[in-house]
Amino acid sequence: MTTTKELWENALVELELSISRPNFNTWFKDTHVIRVEDGVAYLGVPSQFSRDWLSTKFHKDILRSLRGLSETIRNVEYVISRSPKKTSEEVHAPSAPSELPLEAVHAKTNLNPRFTFNSFIVGPFNELAHAAAQAVIRKPGIAYNPLLIYGPTGLGKTHLIQAIGNHFRVNAPERKVQYLTSEKFAMDYVASIQAGKAQWFKEKYRQYDLLIMDDVQFLAKMEKIKEEFFHLFNYLHDSNKQLVFSSDQHPNMIQNLEDRLKSRFNAGMIVSVTPPDHESRLAIVRTKAAAHNFILPDEVLDYLATAIEGNVRELEGALNTLLIHFEMRGKPLTLPDVKMLLRDAGSPKKAVSVQEVVKLISNFYGIDEASIYEKTRRKEVVRPRQVIMYILREDFHISFPTIGEKMGGRDHTTVIHSCEKVRNDIQNDSILSGEVHQIRLMLK
Amino acid sequence: MKFECTVEDLGKAVSTAVRFVERRANLPVLASILIVAERGGLILRATNLECGVEINVPAKVSSEGVVAVAGATLAGFLGNVKGKTISGELAGEVLKLQSERATASIKTLPHEDFPTLPRVAASTSFTVKAGDFMKAVRSVVYCASTSTVKPELQSVLLFADGGKLIAAATDSFRLAEKAVTLRAGSTIPQLLLPARNAAELMRILESASGDVEVYYNENQISTHIGGTYYTSRLIDGAFPNYRQILPKSFTTEAVILREDMASALKSLTVFADKFSQVSLSIEPSKKTLLLSSRNPDVGEQTSTVRATVSGDAVAMNFNGKYLGDSLQAIVGESVRIYSNGAGKPLLMRDAADDSFLYLAMPMNR
Repeated sequence: MTTTKELWENALVELELSISRPNFNTWFKDTHVIRVEDGVAYLGVPSQFSRDWLSTKFHKDILRSLRGLSETIRNVEYVISRSPKKTSEEVHAPSAPSELPLEAVHAKTNLNPRFTFNSFIVGPFNELAHAAAQAVIRKPGIAYNPLLIYGPTGLGKTHLIQAIGNHFRVNAPERKVQYLTSEKFAMDYVASIQAGKAQWFKEKYRQYDLLIMDDVQFLAKMEKIKEEFFHLFNYLHDSNKQLVFSSDQHPNMIQNLEDRLKSRFNAGMIVSVTPPDHESRLAIVRTKAAAHNFILPDEVLDYLATAIEGNVRELEGALNTLLIHFEMRGKPLTLPDVKMLLRDAGSPKKAVSVQEVVKLISNFYGIDEASIYEKTRRKEVVRPRQVIMYILREDFHISFPTIGEKMGGRDHTTVIHSCEKVRNDIQNDSILSGEVHQIRLMLK
Repeated sequence: MKFECTVEDLGKAVSTAVRFVERRANLPVLASILIVAERGGLILRATNLECGVEINVPAKVSSEGVVAVAGATLAGFLGNVKGKTISGELAGEVLKLQSERATASIKTLPHEDFPTLPRVAASTSFTVKAGDFMKAVRSVVYCASTSTVKPELQSVLLFADGGKLIAAATDSFRLAEKAVTLRAGSTIPQLLLPARNAAELMRILESASGDVEVYYNENQISTHIGGTYYTSRLIDGAFPNYRQILPKSFTTEAVILREDMASALKSLTVFADKFSQVSLSIEPSKKTLLLSSRNPDVGEQTSTVRATVSGDAVAMNFNGKYLGDSLQAIVGESVRIYSNGAGKPLLMRDAADDSFLYLAMPMNR
């Protein structure tokens, strides 16, 4: 089935032949078929000039060519609608006066309204970051500029920086706020270069009063974009526009990041968020559960906070799992239920140590655990040892040298060889592949 | 086709019409003016598909006909022709024009491709004095943006508020608003008239007196002024809600003579740098307004303007052109300047007339 776009393109090809080129270029340039409905094709035209002229002068030609392509079309209606036009570039003097804050009313901030300070839980692990964010709100552009929040994934960095943006969006709509990830920034840059609109790209980003960029560590890898970012940074910083960033590392630790950028980050405020402690986790679980109107017994909440360490996102995921099961079952969840459910949902990788894997696999093959670590080449030991190395590598992503070391000081090439051997053998040896499958199930 | 009319009538009509001609059009016929000779007179039509004009010219038509001739050629000839009356006749593919002292033969173009002008139904309209309408548009149009990034800012906003026709324009660095009395039609939605089409409208309004009735629909605006029909497309977009950024209270207020400010700014342009930066400082203790500019390659100048000042002292930098632009719309003797301190927009008004306001953003450095 042809789309309306293809339909019109085909019609245009035909029309182009029957109409003189100047006429065609003038009248058919910005036209498009909006929809076809009940045998009527609705043709979008740029202005009343074109509507009047097309309908008096070219109506027959248009209808004929459309009918030739689709017999169901009986009539053509002309509607004035501008197809989204590309904007062209412009150049402004670098020290042009700052702009009247006009656009904020319609500005797309790219913020997720879900992330607000109200839904942000403050604990000892993030109170510094929270306080810094509050200071930014009170004195944007002055207090801490730039503000950089770093820490491992799933600890609410995005939530916090978006909450700053949302605060301005609601309470100071005259400020232009933009939230984006460094990846989006990079893609935008590439797109603007491709379209030959580099200047437009500069303009676009220099208009914001508050720029929030997530995951700036990714910029380190991209040379040209890093430079563009550097200039943007300087421009906004010099005009006292607030900048807020997040990163997964302290900027000084980010590889390939130039010193000039590092020092600029360091000129503002750098705060970290650390994994929450048990009490904070408990508070988070409570708040999140309450947000869903989801009532859980205290013991379950406590279990959740204990069992899932570190990452707030995983905590939320676990809670969502419980929520779905609760809704499906329609009866309250007990602690054993929860333990059951979360054993399936949780990942084994965090809970299992190398020793446990070795113990489990040697038990599985019925050999002595100690013999794995010995320098023996007995056949009944070699195979389980190779399987252990393979599992440690494939499922737990431990480095080859580390595996070698744990396996009684073996060279990393030995480990590589073992892993490859098992990987190849699994293809042909159905017994081995069955064993590995069994072991994986036991590890869960 | 054969007609006879006065040189003055035809010349005036052609000089108006030629402004609507599109010189670089894809369609060659758009570079021409269409002349329709009908019983009762001539109709001249020109359009660039953004805006268009149709002008009735009184003429004695002895044989009807239609012809399209290159606008620039026709205007060039009529602009310099001497004599009182002129006659025209189509001979083959050539239009022969003859006055008492000169004759010209102008090659014609096939007129079948010349488009019709959109008509706007009379159902929605407003009435305003021609002079007021022109004043409103002229007071703000220079503020419209020239950049195509935001088409809605390349326009003059027209709407009604409290029995007034409000015109506003901004390029996001400065903003002007002018209110004039509406004679009829108190509800007008936001109409975005393209700024470059506004210049032609003003020229036509200039020649008119009395009231003009302006018709509009969501895509098109048009008006009949005397024997002239003008129409322009409207820009589809939302004009920023600028009224919410107009400051309500001020920390500094100064009144100065318009003439003083105008001449000070004029002489400062000699010394201004390439960004036409002018520093403005208001000193309540000395009752002065200090304007200065400096260009490292030329020199510097300071002008002191006597002022009535109340409030705090303040110093800011502006694009001198932006300050000066406002004065063309301020006709009273003195100018009122309001400020809320450095970094905040500066508001200017005609001291005797509240219908005009002008907002300019200071420069960063």
